Amino acid sequence: MTAELVARSLSYHTAVPASLFNFEQLAAIYNEARVDYIVPMPMNAPRMEAYVREHDVDLNASVVALNRDDAPIGLGMLGLRGARGWITRLGVMPAHRGHHSGEFIMRTLLQNAVERAAARLQLEVIIGNEPAYRLFLKLGFQPVRELRVIRRPPGRPNPGLPAPDAVIVPLRPDEIAPYLNSRTPGAAWIEETRSILHAGKLKGFAVQLPSGQGGWMIFQCTLFQLAHFVLSTEDEDTAYALLHSLHQQYPAQDTKVENIPADDPLWPVFQRIGYVEAFRRIEMALPLA
Amino acid sequence: MSVIVVIEDNRDNARLVAKLLRPAGHQVLLAEDGETGLMTVFENRPDLVLVDLGLPDIDGQTVVGMIRQQPGLERTPLVACTAWPEETALDMAHAYGCDGVITKPIDTRAFVARINDYLRHSGPRA
Repeated sequence: MTAELVARSLSYHTAVPASLFNFEQLAAIYNEARVDYIVPMPMNAPRMEAYVREHDVDLNASVVALNRDDAPIGLGMLGLRGARGWITRLGVMPAHRGHHSGEFIMRTLLQNAVERAAARLQLEVIIGNEPAYRLFLKLGFQPVRELRVIRRPPGRPNPGLPAPDAVIVPLRPDEIAPYLNSRTPGAAWIEETRSILHAGKLKGFAVQLPSGQGGWMIFQCTLFQLAHFVLSTEDEDTAYALLHSLHQQYPAQDTKVENIPADDPLWPVFQRIGYVEAFRRIEMALPLA
Repeated sequence: MSVIVVIEDNRDNARLVAKLLRPAGHQVLLAEDGETGLMTVFENRPDLVLVDLGLPDIDGQTVVGMIRQQPGLERTPLVACTAWPEETALDMAHAYGCDGVITKPIDTRAFVARINDYLRHSGPRA
């Protein structure tokens, strides 16, 4: 941003910590900022509160942008885990765009991240959101990988699919955390072990195939939805046995799996079990150190 | 007269839909989140459900999935209403067993005719 733009931008907005607002207000600001978003994902207050808690969003480091009348015009949130930061929920209300508000919010978040000793920032942007993608590139973020968000409607696996010949052993509740802590790092922020453990309502089971192959999966199981999948295997037969067994056991729930890498070799297995791609995101990163 | 449940969190959109459907002789029941929408559908057994795919509590696909599983509602026309790109919306709607998709912003001139079309072409109710 040039000095002139900075001055013009500062004359239009100020930024205040998001912690000055309650979750009802934050949800309302967010929903208004995303009303015309490419994939609208509105939130109510409980959902916003859960999001902040699950993903270690620091509301003191997150910002709400205000206009000259002190009315909220947009927001951006910053999650912090050790030396890593994550930018999320960025949005500017349609009526207030065109004043570099998005860049103003992003630069404030970057500054907040540096002040909190973050060495690396990451974020995701939905493919097709070109203005945001260009802004992130301008600020120095580089694409890391593509991520898929996939869905499967409720129901047992297609009867035409063979039932796996596998021994299924449920995991005990006390086994969930140690299993999750043993996973290979590299998950997207909202699927990292901290987020999954914060989300709670976790179940898991292991399968053993006659071939000797085996693996386990852990997932969140709520009244309506299965989510937050962790599969321990890269073997297609084992993944098939895990997913088939899961949907045989939980036919009533809808399924939403977020941010699996687009090059995940198990994607064809998911498709075979009835998953479809909803949309893709690009994960981007910016070293700060 | 048909009973239509509209599950839509955006009040302006919900009001617009009701304003279009009521003069056409339909009874419109509005619900502004997924949970209220599910209860309204289960209690009223409507002739058609119009569901926004982006809802603030339970998302729209999950709502559709729950309705489709409810005995007696397997064949109730379900129409997704969404601002998603049309191709994505069609894929999602098809996967979840919706009967159709109406993209936002709503084409007010064609909207009632399209809803009447979905009502006419729905199969016999279970």
